[in-house]
Amino acid sequence: MKAAAFDYIKPKALSDALSLLEQGGDDAQLIAGGQTLLATLNMRLSEPSILIDITDIDELKGISVVGDKLRIGALVTHTEIEDSDLVAKHAPLLKAAAPHIAHRAIRNLGTWGGSLAYGDPAAEWPACSLTLQATMVIHGPKGERKIAAQEFFIDLYTTSLEPDEILVATEIPLASSDQVFYFHELARRHGDYAVAGLAAVAQKKGNVLSNCIFTFFSVSSTPVMAAATQGIVNGKALNEQLIAQAVCTVREEIDAIADITNSAEAKTHLIGVLLERGLKHLIA
Amino acid sequence: MELNGEQLIGAPIPEVWKGLNDIDVLAKSIPGCEEISRVSPEEIHAKVMFKIGPVRARFSGKLLLSDVVPDQSCSMAFEGSGGAAGFAKGKSRVELKQVDGGTLVAYTTEASIGGKLGQIGGRLISASAKKIADDFFQKFAKELGGEIVVLDSDPNVE
Repeated sequence: MKAAAFDYIKPKALSDALSLLEQGGDDAQLIAGGQTLLATLNMRLSEPSILIDITDIDELKGISVVGDKLRIGALVTHTEIEDSDLVAKHAPLLKAAAPHIAHRAIRNLGTWGGSLAYGDPAAEWPACSLTLQATMVIHGPKGERKIAAQEFFIDLYTTSLEPDEILVATEIPLASSDQVFYFHELARRHGDYAVAGLAAVAQKKGNVLSNCIFTFFSVSSTPVMAAATQGIVNGKALNEQLIAQAVCTVREEIDAIADITNSAEAKTHLIGVLLERGLKHLIA
Repeated sequence: MELNGEQLIGAPIPEVWKGLNDIDVLAKSIPGCEEISRVSPEEIHAKVMFKIGPVRARFSGKLLLSDVVPDQSCSMAFEGSGGAAGFAKGKSRVELKQVDGGTLVAYTTEASIGGKLGQIGGRLISASAKKIADDFFQKFAKELGGEIVVLDSDPNVE
C-alpha cells in the first residue's frame, strides 16, 4: 500500500514551521516520528497535501532540568526517555512506562510530543503527563502559551492544540525524594494497546500515601483521573480494608467505554485489579 | 456496532422535529458536513468530512427515512462511502418524548463499518461514533437556540 502524493518540506526553524502550518491550513500535516501517521497515509485513511517534517528543529529537542522542572522536548523519542538518566532521576514513572510502548523499533522513532498531540486514549504518555501534572508548552502564531495536562486532553483524539499550533515541550515538576510510583497496563500481548492501564504516583510516609494521583488509560475517550478514589486513599493508613474500599470506589467512579474486543464491564473489573496491585506496590 | 443514547434538548417537540427535518439545521449540526440536499421527502444526500484521530476522509452518503410519524418518531437507513478509507451503513431509530425541560431525543443505531476504516479504526470506532453523536446534538441544540441538558446516563455503546 502506498500513500497518495504529497509535498514534503523540512524547515529548520520553529517560526518557519509555524508559518508553513498556517499557510497550509487544513491540508498541511506535521510529521515527526511518523509511527502513526505514516501507516494512516499508506492506508489512505487521510490524504494531506503537504507534510511538514519538524525533526530538524532544535527548539523541540532534548531533555533538561530547568529550575524545578524537567523539560522534555516534543521530539524526544520514547527510547531517549527510556534511556535518560535525568528522566530516571526526576520522573521515574516515565522510565517505567516507556518499555510498555509498542516495540523497540517504534520507540526508536516515535516521539513524546507526537504521542501527546495525537491524544490516543490508549497511549501511555498522555496518562503519564496527567499523573505527573505536566505543563504543555505550545507555540502558535500568537506566541507561546502554557496549559496544564489536565486541560489539554479534551476528548477522543482531541486536545486543546489549535490547528496552527505546535507542541514544543512539556515541563514536569521534579519528583520529590518521597515519591513512589506505579505503572502497569494489561494487554493481550506485550506491545499491544492496553485493555486498561494505570499510571500512579503518591508521596509515601510509613504506610500512609498522600498527594495520590491515579490516572487510568485505555478505558475512556481520554485518560481519566480517579479523583474520588485519590481522596479516599490520601492521608490514611493503607490496609486491606482501605484498599477494598478504594477498589470499590474506583469501579464506580470511572465510566469505562467498551472497545471492539473488551466490554465496559471487563474494563471496569480490570480498573479495580490495577488499582489493587498498584496500591500494594506503592506501599511495599 | 450499536450506539444507543438519549439527549435532552431544551426546546419543545415541534421545534426539535422541525429541526431534525430541516436540512439547513442539519447541515450546521452534522460535524464536518460539506453538502446536504433533499432529493425527495424521504431521501437526503450528504457529503461529510469525517475527521477524527488518524482518519480524515470525505464520505458521501444517503439517508432514507421511513415510518415517519411527525412529532414522534422515524426510522432511517443510511449508507456512506469514504472511497479508499472504507464504508459505513446501518439503520437508526429516533423517538421524541416531551419531558420537563424540553424534548427527550432517544436514538438507537446499528451500524457496520467496513474497509480499512473497519480494520484500522476498529479499536476506537465505538468511542468515535459516540463523540460524533455528542458533537451533533451539541451543535443541534445550539442551532435551535436551546441548551443541551446534561443527562446522568451517558449513551451506551457496544
